[in-house]
Amino acid sequence: MTSAAETKQAGAGRHPNPRLRRSAAVVGIGHSDWVRDWKRTRAGEKPTDSCGYGMEAFANALKDADIDRSMIDGLIVGPTTAYERMGELLGINPRWGDQADAVLSVLQAVMAVESGFADVVALVYGNDQRSVGTQYGGPEAMGGSAFLSYVYHAPWGLTSQGALYALTLQAYKHAHGFTERDLGEVAVAQRGWSSLNPNAIMRERITVDDYMASRYVCEPLHLFDYCLINDGGVALIIAEASIARKISSRPVYIEAAGRSDLNHGATSLEPRLTDFYLPAQQAVARQVFDMAGMGPKDMDVFQVYDSFSVHVPLALEGYGYCAVGEAGKFLRESGVGPGGKMPTNTSGGHLSETYMQGWAHQIECVRQVRGECGDRQVENCRNVHYSSDVAGKAVSIIYSR
Amino acid sequence: MSTAQVVRTPHRVMGLYDKPMWESIDARQMRLQRCTRCGTFQYPPGPGCHGCLSMDLEWVPVSGRATILSWVVFHRQYLPAYPAPYNSIAVRLEEGPIMISNLEGEKPSGTWIGERVRLVYVTMPDGVILPRFELDRQSR
Repeated sequence: MTSAAETKQAGAGRHPNPRLRRSAAVVGIGHSDWVRDWKRTRAGEKPTDSCGYGMEAFANALKDADIDRSMIDGLIVGPTTAYERMGELLGINPRWGDQADAVLSVLQAVMAVESGFADVVALVYGNDQRSVGTQYGGPEAMGGSAFLSYVYHAPWGLTSQGALYALTLQAYKHAHGFTERDLGEVAVAQRGWSSLNPNAIMRERITVDDYMASRYVCEPLHLFDYCLINDGGVALIIAEASIARKISSRPVYIEAAGRSDLNHGATSLEPRLTDFYLPAQQAVARQVFDMAGMGPKDMDVFQVYDSFSVHVPLALEGYGYCAVGEAGKFLRESGVGPGGKMPTNTSGGHLSETYMQGWAHQIECVRQVRGECGDRQVENCRNVHYSSDVAGKAVSIIYSR
Repeated sequence: MSTAQVVRTPHRVMGLYDKPMWESIDARQMRLQRCTRCGTFQYPPGPGCHGCLSMDLEWVPVSGRATILSWVVFHRQYLPAYPAPYNSIAVRLEEGPIMISNLEGEKPSGTWIGERVRLVYVTMPDGVILPRFELDRQSR
């Protein structure tokens, strides 16, 4: 359903200013040792807090960029820590700052750099969700203040994020003849990737039969469709393009970015249940591919925000990697795992590497473009497409050499 | 029996505009807001019409007729009032909005999607009345 206001939007059909293209580049990446901390938290230890994970990641990103902290003049902090406290601990007095989720942090860094508010921006995220027992379902479901749909349906027993995606999957299966075995291909493919990734928490390969034999959590979603919950931190350093070239011999450019939101009917889940976010994804696909002068065929790797595996088939269709309604066939016959036609979530993603709420996906994009992914490296990787579709906010970034 | 032993129904969001809706549910005649200017129904209730931004809304009883859009079965317990397994459904009300609820009684043998349902009122152990649905055999 389209509201009257949307059809006459002043910016209808317009795209972000092409000046943004390659105006900024990633020069440093870092993260905490979440494999080590997974073992420690499982043993009942508390390695550090959210700020501590962010600090560890930031120190590693500075080392990776080989720059001094004094060069940083912009700071963007993730949503799980207080901006001021994190800035205090990192010892940064920026001339520009903000707080945002993973994908919007990158967009905000690009906008800050392009507009001259900052030249070298640190993006820092830390989350101790495992060791503090953050609840994403049940009576204390996190995020309810920002997203009414997370709490409004509690009287009827529906509070978990998984349930929202299970409802989406059920309707999508019905609309397109998609099967549980088709969805199982996603978890299997991502385990295939994570088995090649020393930074991944879950590295044991699984088969579609293993997937089918696993228990339901919220049917039709199986256990393997759910993301991990673990502690960790991620940081990136993004610099204005000419500065980036001075700092780094291997800058990874933000080639294009775009966003489209579906808020109409959001609380009662209309955009998820009736057209599976497709209009927003298609609008974003036009923005990013037009800005980059490229298409899906030019993308060497696809990275998808995968709190649940369901995101992957919807994104494959929405961004034009396969025809609408054919994601099942694509997953079965073309493949998204090692050796597949469209390498997707090559680190193992949220399902198998680490659940850093989109942040770790950004550094995997950078690593694939740099060519430093070891056994899981996609050959001659030039362009990586990242897509996030959280609560109807479709956002994409293309990272390029 | 002390009140501590009664299993509580999960919290109802009770904003300024939710209250009249829950009062109508308590009276077993659920009402939703309809815009007096453009006729749009809305759920959840709110301060004005999202269709035309008119603030002039009236509370109108719903027919109780709806169609299932999707369903899930929880195999894990998240809430004391909902031991697993239990279902949740998304229905399209005849008036237009989508609502999340539960299917009571008999369940369809194949897919639930497209099944016609009708509104029933169920009293929870703590006395909260919930609008739920059951298969509508008459309109098949």
